[in-house]
Amino acid sequence: MSEVSHAAIALVPASCTSCLICVRECPAWCIELDSHVEQVSEPGARRPRSVSVLDRFAIDYALCMYCGICVDVCPFDALHWVGAPVEPAGTRGDLVLGTDELAGLAAPTAPGEDWTRDERGGARG
Amino acid sequence: MAEVDVPPRVFRLPSAPGTRVVVASAGLACCAMEVESAVRRGLLVAHTGSIEPGDRCLLLVAGTVTEALGPAVRRLLVDLPAGTRVVSFGACAASGGPYWDAPTVLSGVDQLVEVDRYVPGCPPRPDDLVAALADLVGSGAA
Repeated sequence: MSEVSHAAIALVPASCTSCLICVRECPAWCIELDSHVEQVSEPGARRPRSVSVLDRFAIDYALCMYCGICVDVCPFDALHWVGAPVEPAGTRGDLVLGTDELAGLAAPTAPGEDWTRDERGGARG
Repeated sequence: MAEVDVPPRVFRLPSAPGTRVVVASAGLACCAMEVESAVRRGLLVAHTGSIEPGDRCLLLVAGTVTEALGPAVRRLLVDLPAGTRVVSFGACAASGGPYWDAPTVLSGVDQLVEVDRYVPGCPPRPDDLVAALADLVGSGAA
């Protein structure tokens, strides 16, 4: 089987800041994101910082058109292409992959195999 | 609206040895190109004879299901033997895909007929198609 470098899109939950840019830019509206804001107090700070905490990230692979816009627009590289396709499913709901499933997709495509990146790993264009 | 027919293409599935699998393919949009790619690579072989008793039948829906073509897809399934299983190939057949908000496009072929297997992709690869078909006939009574 011939391998391609952009068969599915995976998530690095620790890198996601819940900024919602991917959700808004997705032409198919296939990304769902839930988050909440926590106040983080630090010694000596004048007031607590507000930090977004990711509760749930899901891609509906029944809707996704694999355009990669979410990968391109993510300012924190929390989304990346993987080479293995999403498995066929018996129900449409099973094609909605949540945070853990998206994080568990195959390892990131190596630099050079990813056509959206140049040789040094920077985004093209 | 005039009634439109979708002439099915009928294939055998060489990757399911020991069983006679008939794949009736409704190519409605660009995903049909991936089916043709599978044919050119010999993963699907054109079937010339009639469908016989004992054949396991699959209806492959590849492409955007529009309101106009929906009844034709339903008629295809009615004409196939009872127990025919349905494979939705690609994002459009699963959910409407990029056209999910278009008034003339169904949000998936499961609005019309019961689907047994959804193959994700836009488009999925021919290998994924053949793997899903073989898996479906191997995973239970067809």
